[in-house]
Amino acid sequence: MTNPDHKQINNKQLSRREALLLLGKVGGSAAMLQAAGLFGLFAAPVQAQPELVKLKPLTAGRKTVLILGAGISGLVAAYELGKAGYQCKILEASHRAGGRNLTIRHGDFIDELGNPQFCHFDKDPDLYFNAGPARIPAHHTAILHYCREFAVEMQMFCNYNKNCYTQDDNAFGGKPVRIREYEADTRGFFSELMAKSIQAEAKLDAPFDDIDRQKLIEFCKAYGDLSSDFTYEGSERAGYQSGGILSPGVLKKPRAFADLLQSNFWAGAMHFGEISDQAAALMTPVGGMDKIVDAFLSRLAGKVQLKAQVQKVQLLPQGVEVSYWLDGQLQTEQADYCLNCIPAQLMAGIENNFPADYVGVMRQLQRGKLSKIALQAKERFWEKEQIYSGISWTNQDITQIWYPSHGLFKTKGILLGAYSWDPAISDRFSAMTNQERIAAAITQGSKLHSDYGKYIDQGNSVCWQRMNHMLGCGAVWSEELLKTSFATIQAPVGGHYMVGDQVSYHPGWQEGAVRSAWYAMESIQQQEQQKQRQVAV
Amino acid sequence: MKYLLFWFGVLCSSSVYAETFHADAQYCLVCHGSNAQGNEAISAPNLAILPDWYLSSQIQAFQSGWRGHQTTDAYSKEMMAVAKSMSAEDVKRAIGFITGFQVSKTPETLTGDETHGKTLYQTCAACHGAAAEGNQAMGAPPLAGQYSWYLLRQLQAYRSGQRGAAENDSRGAMMKQIAATLQQDQDLNDLVAYINTLDIQKTNNPKTDIKK
Ligand SMILES: Cc1cc2nc3c(=O)[nH]c(=O)nc-3n(C[C@H](O)[C@H](O)[C@H](O)COP(=O)(O)OP(=O)(O)OC[C@H]3O[C@@H](n4cnc5c(N)ncnc54)[C@H](O)[C@@H]3O)c2cc1C
Ligand code: HEC
Ligand code: HEC
Repeated sequence: MTNPDHKQINNKQLSRREALLLLGKVGGSAAMLQAAGLFGLFAAPVQAQPELVKLKPLTAGRKTVLILGAGISGLVAAYELGKAGYQCKILEASHRAGGRNLTIRHGDFIDELGNPQFCHFDKDPDLYFNAGPARIPAHHTAILHYCREFAVEMQMFCNYNKNCYTQDDNAFGGKPVRIREYEADTRGFFSELMAKSIQAEAKLDAPFDDIDRQKLIEFCKAYGDLSSDFTYEGSERAGYQSGGILSPGVLKKPRAFADLLQSNFWAGAMHFGEISDQAAALMTPVGGMDKIVDAFLSRLAGKVQLKAQVQKVQLLPQGVEVSYWLDGQLQTEQADYCLNCIPAQLMAGIENNFPADYVGVMRQLQRGKLSKIALQAKERFWEKEQIYSGISWTNQDITQIWYPSHGLFKTKGILLGAYSWDPAISDRFSAMTNQERIAAAITQGSKLHSDYGKYIDQGNSVCWQRMNHMLGCGAVWSEELLKTSFATIQAPVGGHYMVGDQVSYHPGWQEGAVRSAWYAMESIQQQEQQKQRQVAV
Repeated sequence: MKYLLFWFGVLCSSSVYAETFHADAQYCLVCHGSNAQGNEAISAPNLAILPDWYLSSQIQAFQSGWRGHQTTDAYSKEMMAVAKSMSAEDVKRAIGFITGFQVSKTPETLTGDETHGKTLYQTCAACHGAAAEGNQAMGAPPLAGQYSWYLLRQLQAYRSGQRGAAENDSRGAMMKQIAATLQQDQDLNDLVAYINTLDIQKTNNPKTDIKK
């Protein structure tokens, strides 16, 4: 093992057991990665669900639907039910539609309770940030169905870029290391360990026979880019030290395996792009995620009532009655059906006559905490560091720095200067003013990019647990609660349906929101068909 | 529900609008529940039972950082941020709005030795009133109708010095001294279990109906 630095790991002394133990730790890290949750706590792969909602046009009578909340699920419901002939109206408490689908650009108001802000980014179509959803994986076929149907212009979104950095205060003297280098070296050493420990075994346990064994060794070689004697001596995968085009490429010296393991990168972020929802290739609407919201709104003219804060929901023997504040007055309306995407933790505080077990579930859902901080850079300094899009990772509170996937070579750009999903970190950010958050993001970001602060004009921040009418980034279901209570909240009570990504096994993704609405609408259709059959009899 | 929302017109002035964007006080209900009755899912207490003078004293306490500043708990920090973003006009409007709600509370079942709690409550009655209806002269708020999880958290906060320790917070300091005498967690629990059995009172707002 070529190991130019101190702290040599002598693999010859590593028994197979030890190697497997190491493996186990890394295996454990995959578990940690899942535990780290990222966003989309339930990282289980989504099955392709090609079927689309198909509502038959209403044939008999007039049916009314009140939709509470203009989140993605509410917008989908109003659009589909409207097409099928239902009379729909959306009541939305906020000054804007879209809910968590929020893109911030010049002049926007950020309605964070206790920390209201305006956005002063330059007026420029490229200078925006997606404070909520930012990326869509290919298997989220339901939300992509609307992007296609509405011809929302899409671009690729990059989550994983080897030229970005990993920075850990406990490794490499706190200096940033290119992900390219970190990954090539860890894989190299890891593969060498594996190859040599397999070679050292006289016989492998079943089910490996001799051919498998040789293949396994070759696999290690390919995986880690080992030399012919199964030693890791550095790899072009880490990038050349010098040369490579007009002169021979000189390999970088591998970093010591022990040093690589000092960093926490391997325990989580290194495998982020492996998560099915986060893996390349991802997509995003050109100009901001809210282009999807705009596309719905242009098809729902006159159906969305903004600044209508729902105050009370009453189940009637037939239908539902909803009271809401509008211009300081309480208004009341009735409808045959009600689809409700108000976050459960808020709905628990809104007067209702729901069955106790139904509200009981809402009370038990926890508020998720996520924060994002966006920074306007005067100059796209990251491009000089050969970074175009992607994510750098750090073990400081800011956790991530995102470089925009659009606007290449322009003068300015919006960086995502912090994005954390650890509730404790979000508590720390939420206790700061916007200015303090920006200052913290700059201080921490300076460990990845020298002169960082010099390039930053200004910034905005969004702590989702403080956002008006949301107070959370999404519902947090415990595994236990999912088992015992998901069906309760998914089922209608009379004509009332809870919807939103909160009523899906995929909270934290628009896909969950769309499919929850589809589920509810199909159930409404069944209720209607049943009624028609009863009338016919 | 009957409201005389006279302040809406008055306060939609553009400066307030620009400062907070909230031309009304409905945002209190986002956290505190649609009838200001509190919402456990947000850890926000019942405000509808509270008289104007106490609402005002506590908003002041949050604005001054007496509540929320030294604390480690995210709840009081949350309310502190809201209070700090409010102008004097906002406070006035919010109090007018909140005191217009009928008092109500989601019923709670609490296990504890209510008899023991009643005995312990004798000390409290001097300030909070025999029926825990509150006493303006003492600055002691009503406790009847308040949620047990909130009362417990506050008693613990006084006891640990997270509330009532700030320099100018004389009312808080008074309550902090009392809480310091309640060393046993079981005592706190019994006290709160007893308070939970008391009917909601609302003495300061005779115009509102009382509903439980
Ligand atoms: C930081 C972050 C990152 C995310 N990243 C992604 C991503 O990359 N990709 C992705 O697909 N998804 C992502 N998501 C998830 C995505 O945002 C949600 O799945 C989706 O937007 C939820 O839609 P919904 O229909 O559940 O409603 P919500 O967006 O939750 O809308 C609820 C609506 O109810 C309204 N409301 C609340 N109270 C009342 C009331 N009293 N009266 C009337 N209306 C009320 C609210 O104002 C809001 O408009 C992310 C979310 C966050 C927060
Ligand atoms: C973001 C959520 C949020 C909003 C918005 C909010 N509050 Fe609070 N409030 C809380 C929480 C949480 C607490 C409990 C704090 C604690 O435990 O120390 C609280 C506590 C209080 C208290 C103390 C009650 C007591 O018994 O001592 C008062 C008074 C209060 N809020 C008034 C208001 C008013 C008036 C508004 C509207 C202007 C408002 N709040 C808006 C979350 C909120
Ligand atoms: C000497 C008078 C006095 C006595 C005796 C007293 N209190 Fe208090 N209490 C107060 C005052 C004053 C406040 C308001 C303090 C503040 O502003 O923080 C208060 C506040 C409280 C609060 C916080 C309520 C809220 O809405 O946030 C609780 C809970 C409480 N008292 C419980 C008790 C209990 C239980 C006892 C008996 C063991 C007791 N008090 C005895 C004066 C008293």
